Amino acid sequence: MTWEIAINRTIRNNVPRVYNVLERHPYIKDLALELRKAKLDVINNLEKYVEETVESVKRIGGIPHVVSDSHEAREVVTKIIGERKRIIMGKSMVAYEIGLREHLKRLGKDVWETDLGEFLIQLANEPPSHIIAPAVHMSKERAEELVREALGGLSEDATHEQIVARVREFLRDKFINAEVGITGANAISADTGSVILVENEGNIRFTTVSPSVHIAIAGFEKIVPTLPYAMMEALVQAAYAGLYPPTYVNLTSGPSSTGDIEMKRVSPAHGPKEFHLILLDNGRVKASKDSELSEALLCIRCGRCHLHCPVYRVLDGKWGTPPYSGPMGAMWSYIVYGNANHSLLCTHSGGCKEVCPMKINIPKVLERIKSRAWMQGKEVL
Amino acid sequence: MEGVRSLLVESLKKYGMPFPVDSNVCTGWTRDLPKRRETIIFTSCMYQIEPIVPRLTKFSSVAGSLKGLSPLAKLIKPSKTELERAYNILNNIVSALKRKGIDLGYLYEDEPYSGAILLELGLLEEFANHAKAVYNKLKEYGVKRVITVDPHTHNALTRYKEFISFDVDVMNYLEVVSSNKKVEDEYTIHDSCLYSRFLNLRERYRSIISDSGIKLKEDLLITGKETSSCCGGPIAGVNRDLSEEIAKRRASDLNSLSSKLLVLCPICYVTLSPYFKGEIKDLAEVIL
Repeated sequence: MTWEIAINRTIRNNVPRVYNVLERHPYIKDLALELRKAKLDVINNLEKYVEETVESVKRIGGIPHVVSDSHEAREVVTKIIGERKRIIMGKSMVAYEIGLREHLKRLGKDVWETDLGEFLIQLANEPPSHIIAPAVHMSKERAEELVREALGGLSEDATHEQIVARVREFLRDKFINAEVGITGANAISADTGSVILVENEGNIRFTTVSPSVHIAIAGFEKIVPTLPYAMMEALVQAAYAGLYPPTYVNLTSGPSSTGDIEMKRVSPAHGPKEFHLILLDNGRVKASKDSELSEALLCIRCGRCHLHCPVYRVLDGKWGTPPYSGPMGAMWSYIVYGNANHSLLCTHSGGCKEVCPMKINIPKVLERIKSRAWMQGKEVL
Repeated sequence: MEGVRSLLVESLKKYGMPFPVDSNVCTGWTRDLPKRRETIIFTSCMYQIEPIVPRLTKFSSVAGSLKGLSPLAKLIKPSKTELERAYNILNNIVSALKRKGIDLGYLYEDEPYSGAILLELGLLEEFANHAKAVYNKLKEYGVKRVITVDPHTHNALTRYKEFISFDVDVMNYLEVVSSNKKVEDEYTIHDSCLYSRFLNLRERYRSIISDSGIKLKEDLLITGKETSSCCGGPIAGVNRDLSEEIAKRRASDLNSLSSKLLVLCPICYVTLSPYFKGEIKDLAEVIL
């Protein structure tokens, strides 16, 4: 029942807002079309763009890492962190994909999610239910209960504002004392090696700037050819998520630097001394070469398809393998985890394809994955 | 899963339908149409048989229905009222097509099933094989054009050419007919997902509805092209609980707009009927 209340409120809050944003800023649709073309080029030449990105990251003083799977990704992160203990994370689906938070906790690190939704997920020890709003399955009442139990200092019948303020108070200390900040990436430009992160809370700025080490981790498909396309992805993603203009767009190109003495660029300055970019394959290259699946790699994670899908709405955010839920999640659960069974629950209602800014024909991709589910022959029905 | 696949294929081979069905149920709606014509109506027995599908899938899935109920299925028939309603819809459609001067045939007991369930379950190889068999049958009767009457059949037939070489024209009755009645009434509408978002017929049937005089009660979040939900019917064969839950929510949303509902698909009608509080009518019952 909580889910039904939460998802209905979310739809009423979000869907009309997206329509307003798109009507008010018609150029967004043009940007989306242009971005689709650029991303198609990357998908068709994925390995070439990974190489170009690696070279660009080196050129700007960052340290690139190309990893093939979750295990390798966790190993690389472990090495970078070394003996450092205090870690803050800005919401990253790829970090969730590789099980990073749990891995670091097992290593005895003090790890905190700083995105409010992901923070609630951490407190509840639950999987995320939506690609950009991970705690969308929680009503305000449930979030209030969680924060009160974990942090205290919250009055009965606290407002949305009071809950946010209490979390802010708790996380201030974590931000200031963190040694490592881990984020995802909304887009990565191959020509400059820059990482673009879109946010509204301000937590990602803290996470990328306050600690002495910043690790960004992302799937290969987040690469776009040039920096303008990366900015474009940020804007389109924010608009189709109904959060336009985004409060912050962060651009990170290597470790912090200054050019204030004789205009010589020197690193570090006030921000991180080290910048690492971990690029993860985990099935993406294979998918890029598969004509029935490659379109799925166009997904920019705006999460719009979720709210237009009758199956997602009924299944309590649990359709797909976390963090990949909903229609896009049914595709990505197969690409990343090899789980074809989620596709069998697609009713081909088609709302997802209508609203997808990248024009991914999600029902068609899922139809092909369904066929593979039958070929795998597992007992799912 | 393998069992489900072979049961489906076996039933298609033996009965020509995904479930064992008495062919009289499918063909009983007419004796007036000639069998051999270049243009035929293609019912795929959807309107006729759909009322019994909820009874067939009571065991929660295709597997349940096929394994558990197949031997009994031949005995299960739609009620007289259900059949009369289905037959009335088909005859209304035929009359509307004839009014447009179309010389129409019908293959009666030789009419094949479209294969929609295979396509929608993702049994693509089986769908391609089935499509070949349907094509051969149509060629055997010299058919050059088929006119479909439901969205699932229309979708399946229009997709044959992705799988096989297929040179038969496929049209839907909505592309041809016009409203034959003046109806001064107000309904809300449940769009067929396939017609609305896959087959480009949404504006066409809205225009026919508008011509009839019917006023539609619409709402951005309930009947919008991008926002309207599935009835839940297509997933019943895989997960009945999920299907029913979708149907309940959909009916509740639609009821918030009106107690009179127009549908365009026999699956939508059957799936929403238990939960919609009010009157549900097929478009072809109201304006043709």
